[in-house]
Amino acid sequence: MPLIPSLSANHARAWLRLLAWSLCSLLAVLPLRAADTARQTIAKAILEEDADKKTTLINSLVGQTDPIIPVLLNTWKEDAIFLYKIDDDHKVPVTLVEGKDADDKQAAVRVDDGQPLTDKDGKSIRLLASDLDAAEHDSNLRATMKGVLDLLSLTDPNRDKRIQAINTLGMSQETEKLPALLKLQATEKDGKVLRALREAVALMQLKDEKPEVQIAAAKALGAMGSIPSRDFLTQLAKDSEGKPEIVKAANDAAVAIAAHIKVVNTVSAAFHGLSLGSILLVAAIGLAITFGLMGVINMAHGELIAVGAYTTYVIQGLFATGVVLQIPTFFFQPYTLRLSGMNLAGTKLDNYFLVALPMSFLVAALVGLLLERCVIRFLYRRPLESLLATWGVSLVLQQMFRLTFGANNVQVYSPAYLSGNWTIFDVILGWNRVFVICFAILIIFGTHLLLTKTPLGLLIRAVTQNRTMAACMGVKTQRVNMLTFAFGAGLAGLAGAFLSQIGNVGPSLGQDYIVNAFMTVVVGGVGNLMGTVISALGIGVIDQSLQQILLNPVVGKILVLVGIILFLQWRPAGIFVTKSRSLEG
Amino acid sequence: MKRNISKLELALATIIALVLVVGLPVLNATDVVGNFTINLWGKYLCYGLLAISVDLLWGYTGLLSLGQALFFSLGGYMLGMNLMLMIGKDGQYYKAGNNPNLLPDFMVFLGHTFLPSFWRPFNSFPIAVMMVVIVPGVLALIFGFFAFRSRIKGVYFSILTQALTYAAYIFLLQNDVTMGGNNGFTDFKRILGFDIRHPATQRGLYIATALLLVAVYAFARWLTTTKFGLVQRAIRDSETRVLFSGYAAANYKLFIFVVASTVAALGGALYVPQVGIINPSELATDKSLEAVVWCAVGGRGTIIGPIIGAISVNALKSWATTKYPDYWLIILGVLFILIVLFMPKGIVGLPAQLRALFKRKPGAPELAPVPAAEAANAKS
Repeated sequence: MPLIPSLSANHARAWLRLLAWSLCSLLAVLPLRAADTARQTIAKAILEEDADKKTTLINSLVGQTDPIIPVLLNTWKEDAIFLYKIDDDHKVPVTLVEGKDADDKQAAVRVDDGQPLTDKDGKSIRLLASDLDAAEHDSNLRATMKGVLDLLSLTDPNRDKRIQAINTLGMSQETEKLPALLKLQATEKDGKVLRALREAVALMQLKDEKPEVQIAAAKALGAMGSIPSRDFLTQLAKDSEGKPEIVKAANDAAVAIAAHIKVVNTVSAAFHGLSLGSILLVAAIGLAITFGLMGVINMAHGELIAVGAYTTYVIQGLFATGVVLQIPTFFFQPYTLRLSGMNLAGTKLDNYFLVALPMSFLVAALVGLLLERCVIRFLYRRPLESLLATWGVSLVLQQMFRLTFGANNVQVYSPAYLSGNWTIFDVILGWNRVFVICFAILIIFGTHLLLTKTPLGLLIRAVTQNRTMAACMGVKTQRVNMLTFAFGAGLAGLAGAFLSQIGNVGPSLGQDYIVNAFMTVVVGGVGNLMGTVISALGIGVIDQSLQQILLNPVVGKILVLVGIILFLQWRPAGIFVTKSRSLEG
Repeated sequence: MKRNISKLELALATIIALVLVVGLPVLNATDVVGNFTINLWGKYLCYGLLAISVDLLWGYTGLLSLGQALFFSLGGYMLGMNLMLMIGKDGQYYKAGNNPNLLPDFMVFLGHTFLPSFWRPFNSFPIAVMMVVIVPGVLALIFGFFAFRSRIKGVYFSILTQALTYAAYIFLLQNDVTMGGNNGFTDFKRILGFDIRHPATQRGLYIATALLLVAVYAFARWLTTTKFGLVQRAIRDSETRVLFSGYAAANYKLFIFVVASTVAALGGALYVPQVGIINPSELATDKSLEAVVWCAVGGRGTIIGPIIGAISVNALKSWATTKYPDYWLIILGVLFILIVLFMPKGIVGLPAQLRALFKRKPGAPELAPVPAAEAANAKS
């Protein structure tokens, strides 16, 4: 069996060779792999003289997850990496630490290991920035760095950052980045990111050489209704003259997207209209009670809204760092009242709004109670004069706000749960607007229940229908009036708390809403809550739609006012008329 | 209410008219009364015209219009357009050589090179004066026709006129309508060729205002004593009964609405050259209500009351805004609440009210009596 040993010898040699080769490669590769952290690669890239090798080194960073990479690359771009000469042949790239000493010197950190720069004895070296040379970079290198950074942020753990990076890449249409996107598409699990990826990939494929890929990409974009791709599609249609299929696909996609934009705009207008209607409704619901049910024209209604808004401001101050109020003391030096706050922050501070809601209701109701007792109860049979007297009250209150809180708007901070938004198919739904819609529904429902299901509601309806008759039946009309008015005022205060989240809070806050609030109640029909709801939503939606169509908010507003005047021609008593046999109604 | 004018009233009115029309200007010409005072009184008398227009509607017809400041300002705007064009070669842009077509400065600033066609007729002063009457009058006619035809009354009328004013306010605020936008018209140089800042011109304007006020007073006083005036007051007290008696109440209301608006517009037209500025803030919601305040303070349902109210409230305002700038609005507000609550007949009705108070037993309620008009209009 002479063959066998030779064979086995052959085998052994082969194994040996393999082993040797492996060892060699291990020896060659291992130290390099183990040594080259992201920091070291960057340090090497900085010291590398050859431009091509520099680029290769930086590109090799792609796929690494070290969070220091973007930091260092950006520092480099901003000329904040310096070269420290150990001797003539050796340089160390360093970054300087914040905090200059008396000689303007700063401590330094080595780029390659993140350790403080020390001399031979281990003592840390302090350097003067102006003595050092910054690490150089040319435009080519910066472009490379940007590409690396873009690709790196594709793997950012933060979802929104990832989406943003994907969108940026897609818009850049740099086809060489396509593989990275496709790779990510295979591993990504988040639905939103996947959608962004599909969009970006399709955008890049628009630049593809094969017409069928381009057509497929255009079709995909059209189907997605991708708004940002519209310009790219028109560009594509322009660029591919002579290729009718591509032009047709691009145009079809553009048409599909235009239709999508139309839908988005319509839905947005409807949503904004709904939320504006809810704002009107919230502002007008208190008026629907005091004016609609009681027949009192309360020109100070707007100021009661402002009372609610300022209560919210004060409560916010108490939760945060305190408030300073200048209490006017008529013709003397105003008294400065300093209320110290609880210095809360974050979610605890956010809770202020939950406290502010009932407080603004209570404070405004209290002011309303006072107003009813002191002024309005004398004027129940003189509605025109109640208008004048309450206007006097509104002047007084406005000036009081101005003196107490200053003539400028005050800052009311929106809690986190009211300041975000949802984006659903390109329609942005602000949380505060969603909230105000829900809140309006809640208030209407609550008021409706109060009026129809409680003993107080029964009394309120009795007194508002026929005050004398109710009094004859033993109803304490004075008390019912007082409570009804206070309730209406409280609702105004609640409206103020909400409006503080949407608009400015200033002394003339009430004036912005009063005309519209009266319009809403008059159009809806006096004495009918349902009419107020319909008219508020109607006015809101029509106003927003006109803005959308005319692109001019002022003309839209004027048209709405003129429309209301004409509408009252047709139905002088509003949408819902309270039927009565009385002549003077 | 007296139907005929007594000799005493005639004598008093003549004396006051003479003092206003002849006395003050003569004192001014002889340097006894300063130019500032004469200018101030010119302003007050313009406000008096505005107050009369509110009173003709509210005090006599029961129509509380919150839009009279709109007609006042429109009158001012119409004359202001003429005054703007009369600036001519004194404009800043013309002097700088950028305005060969002699446009008002604000238009050049907004990039216009030609005068909009609707501005051209205003080069003529008589046409501008005609427009002072026509534009507000036609607006009142159209709005009133629609409002009264559908029997909008009481509170609804107030709120609708307020909405109309608000719509006009935001309309005039726009720059595109070439009416000066937020800044309005100002920096006038001459009227009918006279230097507008010269004391003699201002005195002339004052005399014109005083004459107009006297004329309007006489006209309104006459109108309210005629049969028309009776129907007017009948509408105020019970419109339904007037309708059932066979009167077309809507036509009466429309007529008085147009007349009152024209009176307000004339007041505005005289106000602008004396004050030297007109901008949209003149027709903010507050201004109409302020005019209603003057009327209520002086005493509505009389013609002299609104004039007294306009002068006294504005004199108080001039004093308080310098003495207590922070508290002026509070003073006005409180004064107004008190007057509505306790003095429904205003200053003019005060003597009668006091007499009634002394005649009653001590401890009688000091609540204001409910006027028949309002009681009837109140929601039942």
